[in-house]
Amino acid sequence: MTPAVALSDVSYRYPGTRAGVQNIELTIAPGELVVCIGPSGCGKTTLLRLIAGFLCPDAGRIRLGGDDVTRAAVRERECGVVFQSYTLFPQMRVWENVAYPLRVRNVALGLRRERALDMLSVVGLTDLSDRLPANLSGGQQQRVALARALIFKPRALLLDEPLSALDAATRLSMREEIRRVQKAQNIATLLITHDQDEALSLADRVVVLREGRLVQNGTPHAIYDRPADAFVAEFVGQANLLDGVTAGPDSVETTIGRIAMPPHGFARGAAIRLLVRPERVEPLSATAGAAGVDTNIFLVRVLRDAFFGATRQVELAVGDGVLKLQTPMRGAIERVRIPPEAVQLLPLS
Amino acid sequence: MLTRWVTAAYLVYLAAPIALLLVGSFGELWLNTLLPTGITGKWYVEVATDGSFRRAFISSLIVATATCGACLALGLPLAYALFHAPNPRIRALARALYQLPVGLPALVLAFGFILVFSSDTLPWLGSIWLLVAGHIVFTLPYFLQAVTADMQRLDLLNLEAAAESLGATMPQRFFHIIVPALKHSIMSGLIVVAALSIGEFQFSNLVAGFLNRTYPVVLLQAFYGATGFACAATVILLLLALTASAAGTLSTGGKARLALPAQ
Repeated sequence: MTPAVALSDVSYRYPGTRAGVQNIELTIAPGELVVCIGPSGCGKTTLLRLIAGFLCPDAGRIRLGGDDVTRAAVRERECGVVFQSYTLFPQMRVWENVAYPLRVRNVALGLRRERALDMLSVVGLTDLSDRLPANLSGGQQQRVALARALIFKPRALLLDEPLSALDAATRLSMREEIRRVQKAQNIATLLITHDQDEALSLADRVVVLREGRLVQNGTPHAIYDRPADAFVAEFVGQANLLDGVTAGPDSVETTIGRIAMPPHGFARGAAIRLLVRPERVEPLSATAGAAGVDTNIFLVRVLRDAFFGATRQVELAVGDGVLKLQTPMRGAIERVRIPPEAVQLLPLS
Repeated sequence: MLTRWVTAAYLVYLAAPIALLLVGSFGELWLNTLLPTGITGKWYVEVATDGSFRRAFISSLIVATATCGACLALGLPLAYALFHAPNPRIRALARALYQLPVGLPALVLAFGFILVFSSDTLPWLGSIWLLVAGHIVFTLPYFLQAVTADMQRLDLLNLEAAAESLGATMPQRFFHIIVPALKHSIMSGLIVVAALSIGEFQFSNLVAGFLNRTYPVVLLQAFYGATGFACAATVILLLLALTASAAGTLSTGGKARLALPAQ
């Protein structure tokens, strides 16, 4: 099937700076929701502006539904864009905002009003159709913006940090709303964010951007469970990253001691970085032994202990290093076990 | 207490000349006394029936209206272009250039006009359109300032980007998004332009032809005649200026902000 959006080897640099994106390969299938995540300044908004046509790439090709739009004007690309700042037209009523794409396409007044009301019912705002944007809450404004971006059946939906201007509670419900509407309309979507929770919970596929380069592209599970490098591991979720040297085909010498793991395939003596997610570290009390297993058990000293209700995050001194641990267990922690299957090795980046 | 007295004194100082004009315009006779004697409306009738005053009144209206129209037609696209100029240095330079006439003595411009437009190639001195051209030079900076200040305050770049992505062409964006968003600052800019144009004397006095002298120019002649007549004529100029700003304020629902260029 032809991808709805396809970028091949796209590069762009802001004139006079080193900022931009380089050699981006990215496709979005029809109906797929891809979330692009990265720290601020990594080029994720640049990527969106390139697809929407606000920027023109220095190199590479951009295709929408198979058509080459690399040099096409913004309005010829027919991408529905939702901006962080809502950008509703202040002097137009809610339904007029939603109907605006039809107005510039010369659809008759009666018909465009009817279709705007249909679209507003999709986002659950029919009752507010005669209000002015200034009289709406942030979440409502963003839903109007979403309806407006979808009404003209765009070739792709592009969302630039759509939730970052909302308060925490609204953000959660709006996240669900975006997912629901996106699936109902079955439209290829690129959502830009710097929020890992948003990325993992919303996406069919996540792409991680760093300093203008695409460092990993995979399902939320793949990104979290098999991060490509230490940067991804640390940016998506919490991570224990320990510097070490391979001691054998299935063990590593680290700052906290020797850790056994499944065969890793690195040469003996190679400098690597070891990853263990904090929730995979098992806390042990003084008395309870780990029955039958005695590998990877370490004596620990608690440095910090923060209680979050459902979980507890503990920082532990182990050997010469520090280990983070996340657990629902309430008791004292004196030893921990690192299950060998929870250990991954990452190349030094 | 002191501040109150100072404020009151200042208000009296401001209002006194206008009050005296009003009193004078209804006074029968005013010669070497503090206040005139007798009450009459005859001065207004005389001004209204005076041919040169009527002609001047109409000239002033034409010049002010044409200046407003020209500021709108020239200033709005110019402000839009400036706002979109990608290079900040070009924007700063353009800003410095368009504010230049604010500091330019009207006399200098008038002499320039007289030199250029009395030549055989451009023999247009005395035409009312030349007067309008001069007024545009003086008033455009104020209009541009009012509009560009508002453009920066509103989120216009993003609004336009949104409209563009939704399929709007450049003229559609300009008329659907930009102009409605700027309507308050456009109105307040036009009020300033109209008020300045109606009250302009220096330049008009030198450049206007005999048949299209504006109201302030003719008004000066009135002070060589009867005091009551001069007062009545001045009150009419004041009313004309007040009407312009009242109309502007009403049409924008009282939201007009007077914007003056930053010096």
